[in-house]
Formats: sequence, structure tokens, C-alpha cells
Amino acid sequence: MINILFISERHEKIDYFNKILNKNVYEFLAMSDETLIYDVVNADPPDVIIIDAQISNIKQINKTIKSISGNAIIIYLITDSKVDKEFIKYANAFIDDKMSEDFIISTISINLRMKNSLEMLSNSNKDLADSLYRLNALYTTSSQFSGTLDKAQLIQYMIDGMDKALSFSLTCTLSLCTSTEPVLILNSLYELSDELIEALKLRTILNYNSIFDEKVLPVKIDINNLKVIKQIKYPASRFTFNLFRFDNMFTQISLGDNIFGCVEIFKETTFTPEDATCFQTIAQQVSLPLKSATLYQEIIETNAKLEKLERLKSEFISIVSHELRTPLTSIKNSLDILMSGRCGNITESADKFLSMAMRNVQRLSGIINDLLDLSKIEAGKMDFNFAPTNINTVIDYVKSALSEVAKSKGLTIVTEQDNNLPDITADAQRLEQVLTNLVSNAIKFTPENKIITISSKLVNSRDIHINDYFKDSIKLSDDDYVLVCVKDEGIGIAEKDLLHAFDKFAQIENSLSRKAGGTGLGLPIAKQLLEAHHGAIWCDSELNKGSKFYFAIPVIKIEQLV
Amino acid sequence: MKKILIVDDEQDIVESLKFVLETADFTCYCAYNGEDGLRLAKEIIPDLIILDVMMPKINGYKISRLLKYDAKYKNIPILMVTARSQEEDKLIGEETGADEYITKPFELDEVVKTVEKYLK
Repeated sequence: MINILFISERHEKIDYFNKILNKNVYEFLAMSDETLIYDVVNADPPDVIIIDAQISNIKQINKTIKSISGNAIIIYLITDSKVDKEFIKYANAFIDDKMSEDFIISTISINLRMKNSLEMLSNSNKDLADSLYRLNALYTTSSQFSGTLDKAQLIQYMIDGMDKALSFSLTCTLSLCTSTEPVLILNSLYELSDELIEALKLRTILNYNSIFDEKVLPVKIDINNLKVIKQIKYPASRFTFNLFRFDNMFTQISLGDNIFGCVEIFKETTFTPEDATCFQTIAQQVSLPLKSATLYQEIIETNAKLEKLERLKSEFISIVSHELRTPLTSIKNSLDILMSGRCGNITESADKFLSMAMRNVQRLSGIINDLLDLSKIEAGKMDFNFAPTNINTVIDYVKSALSEVAKSKGLTIVTEQDNNLPDITADAQRLEQVLTNLVSNAIKFTPENKIITISSKLVNSRDIHINDYFKDSIKLSDDDYVLVCVKDEGIGIAEKDLLHAFDKFAQIENSLSRKAGGTGLGLPIAKQLLEAHHGAIWCDSELNKGSKFYFAIPVIKIEQLV
Repeated sequence: MKKILIVDDEQDIVESLKFVLETADFTCYCAYNGEDGLRLAKEIIPDLIILDVMMPKINGYKISRLLKYDAKYKNIPILMVTARSQEEDKLIGEETGADEYITKPFELDEVVKTVEKYLK
């Protein structure tokens, strides 16, 4: 029913309007007393107010109407089509004494229709604003989710997001950040009594259990061990048990295929279907970042374990090696004394076996030294004495040291050196170790009457060609490099084994390495030593034709190296 | 005859050192722990000491320090023997006044040569 208030002192007009409007199913009320108008309008705001422009206290009435009319349609009843300019600012429409009944009714109904349309528009506008706000809240929440890998923080962002989007009275969030310590987060508008908290704990656990139905619970939650975190917005007020009559929604928080927890949300007013969608969306959105956070945590833990293991391994190798050296020294000393003949003459066959023992002591000693070197390099404890070094000095030293051994195998070592090489910043002793290793390998794996060539030259990194096997793992700077190559005519390395040549304990083809001796640690050590010089090592090889081992060291100053 | 004191808790190593040094005409005294080593050093005042680092109770560094800070013994050359070979250990050895540093496994002939160098 449409309420119409008619303000006039003229009885004939009141009667007339009463007659025509009642006929048209309007609720009609007429009055002229200013105070009364005020009370009536306040109690039951009319949809339409018709004011008789002839009324004596028109100015006062206008003022009152202006303050109380709200959304009412205001129509002035005028005489002889005379429109007072003063009225225009209040009026929605004018009607004249002389207008027909139909004209008056249609004026009122047109205005009512317009008012309805405006109201609908305003409501849609409000809904649109609400949706926009909610969308914004969702967007903010999801961008917050992507910004952290901390599970507790993710859950907090989820609750904040729900608060922004749904403005709840209370959320109960059960989260299993760690399976040993489930946490119940109570995010509440008002303070909660201890009894109420106990009730909420029980309710949440029952909710949680209900997710699994008849199935076995992955984590059984004990109400006595459930940690509660309370976040109260306005602690001055309190919720009562009436809370359980509030409208509520419940959902699980997934973690991949597992359950991370659950969340229940209470609100004094009812939730709309849009609220429910929004609630589900936020709870689902947190799932993926939670999964990432869990994986991240696992990686961190695994890394810590690996690091510890690596350290233990290094320490172990170092201790074992030291412990091995002492008995080895005693064996070696005894052999030395016996072989020197100081204890009497030795027969030819005794000498053969004593020499065998001695050879193996030296081999064992070599293995221990290699192991120690490698564990020192890996632990970052290797000390280097970097100084300007000429690589040719190193080459000459190694050549003279190994010439005898090579000769005994019927091999010749030749050098092809560039005599105008600049100095490199290097630890000469370590480079000798690297080159000795490479040349020893060449001697070991090359049959009689062949030649081993050691060459050196200066090249820019642009002109260094590294084969496809090593190209990706070696990064050279733009500097000039001193390039050293050890070339043999030995058995070579099969293509499939090339990449593993520098791996620890990776000697190619076991039977051969046993015959040749060695630990399989020489090349990995060489690689690490060269990397400490900002250099690189790689090899070209062809099975049964021979191998070329290259290493390159940049021509840089000591300041650039450290 | 020159007197040499050998201090090492590894009896086998002491034995082999004693053998080669005696063959080279030195008189050898042996101690198998740090405490005995220190006492013997003060008692016989040897011409040279071969000293192991890792020993129970009193280690080689400590003995070296105690002797080198005492005017009465500071001129006795000390050859430090150890299974350790890390650079920092070498530094500690030098700080404590050891004259020479030998790493296990060592060449017996090398040891004899070094001893002779100091006792010429």
C-alpha cells in the first residue's frame, strides 16, 4: 500500500483528494498541524507528500518537510498554474486545482514508478560496490598468499582475508602447521569466556573429525593438548553462548591430498550465497601456497641434513686419514730398514716381495693424501699460496720429475712451449700437482714407444674451443688464458665416459685401473684446484687413438682472484 | 756420542727411529708419553729431541713451549713429528719454537739427514 500524506487546511480539498485517492488504493492521511506532521512522518515515512500551496504556515511546513522527507515524493498543489519559485527546489511535481482526477493520479503514479526505478538502481549500485570490495579483498589476500612461505603467516592472511570480505563475528581455525602441535586460532570480535573457548575447542575437533567420516584420522587431536591462540578485536565486550545461534559456515583447508586443518566462521546476521562462495574461494586459495610452504620447509630441512652429512663425511675422512698415517709410517720404516740391508743380507726373492710391500705402502700413502686433499678442498680449508707464476717453469719441473718413469716404460715426454707467456696468478705447487697427475695418467695409459706432449700457449677465451661434452659446465671470462695441453697416444676414453672423467672415484673400466693403479681422485682434485684458480679443465679423446687433457688459467692479477 | 731423545706414544715408530739413529752412531733415549719425555729431557739434557705432537696428557706443542721458554733448554733443537699436515698445525709448531717439522709418513734417511744437519 502506498502512503500519501496530504497537508492542507482546506476541507473541500481534503475531501476531494480523499475520495479520488482512496478509490485508487492509496492509504490517505491529511493534516495541517506542523508538530503533528513531524511526528507522523518520523513514525511512518510516507511515500508521497502533497502540500497545499495555500496553507497559511507554508514557509514553516517547507522547512519541516525538507528535514524529514527522506525519499518521499513531494508534490505541490497550486492554484491557477502559479508556481512559486521557492517551491521548485523541494518539488518533484506540481498539480493544479483544475486538473482532472486522471491527471492527478497519473502524476502520482509516474513519480512513484520513477522513485522505484531509482531505488533499484541504487540497490544495484550498492551490490556492485560490495562485489568490488570483496573482489579487492580476494585479490589482496591472494597476492599476500604468494608473498610468504611461512605456514602460520599464510593462515593469518586467510583469516584477515575472510575478515575483510565477510566481516565475521568469530572464526575458529584449526591448523596443523606441525602434526605434533595443532593450533586453534580464535579470531573474534568480542572477548570469549573460558567455558566458551572449551566449547569451541570441542566443536572444532568434532568438525575436524567429521571431515574424515569413518576413515582413519591422520592426526588425532587431543582436546587437552590443543593450543589456543586468541585474537580479540574489542575485548571490552563479550560473546555469550548465544554465539552458537549465529549463522555459520564450515570448510576444510586442504594440503594437496591431505587435510591441513579446518575453519568455521560465525556471523550474527545471515551469510548470503555470495558469502559462501567467497569463503570457499579463500579457503581453497590458501591450499596451494600451503603446499609450496610445506615443500619449501622440507627442502630446507633436507639441505640442513645434507650439509651436516657432508661435514661429517669430511671430518670422518680427515680423522681416518690421520689415524691411517701412523701405522703406515711404522710399516714403511720397517721396510726401509730391512731393504737397506742393515739387518743382514736379503735374498733376491725376499727383495722382490719387500719391494712389492713398499710399492703398495706408497700407493696407500698416495690415496690417503688424495683423500685428505679432496676433503680439505671440499671443506674450503685448502690454503693456496697465490703468486705470479710462469707456467713453463711448472712444465719443466714436471717433465724432469717424470722423465725417468716415462723412460722406464719406453715413452718420451716432449714439450712445445710458448716462451713469451705472461705470468699467471697461481699456487705453483698445486699446478705441479695438477700437471703431474695429468702426465702420470698419460704415462699409465700409453703403450710403449709412444710420445707424450706437453704444450703451452696464450689464447683469448674467444679462441678456446671446448667440446660439446664440457661446453655447458665450463664458463670462461673474457680474459686471456694460458692454455696447457697434455697429449698422449694411449688407450683413450670412450665417449660415454668422457663426462665422468672428473667425477670422484670414477676410473674408466675397473680392470684396467687396477692394473694401472691410482685412486680415481686425481682428476677430481685437479678440477677443484683449477677452479680455485678461476680456471677449467676438460678433455678430448678418442678410443684407442689417445687423449688430450686441457687446462686453462686466466691471466689476471692476484686482486682479481681473491 | 751425541744424545738424542725420542718422544712418541707409538712404540713402533720410536723403535725404527732408534734403530736407524743408533746405526748412525747416536745414543738414543726413548719416552712413550709427554710426561716422561719432559722429565727425561730435563734429566739428560739431550743434544736434540724428536717430538711427536699427538700424545696423551702432555702434547708435543706443550713440551716444546715449556722447553723453549726455559733458558737452560732453549738451545736444544726440536724436530716435531706429526700425522697432521695442515698448514695451521705447521704454524702452531713454529710458534711453539720447533726447529723442524716432519710429516708422517716420513723417510727414515731424511730424518737421519736432518738430525745430522743440526748436530754437525
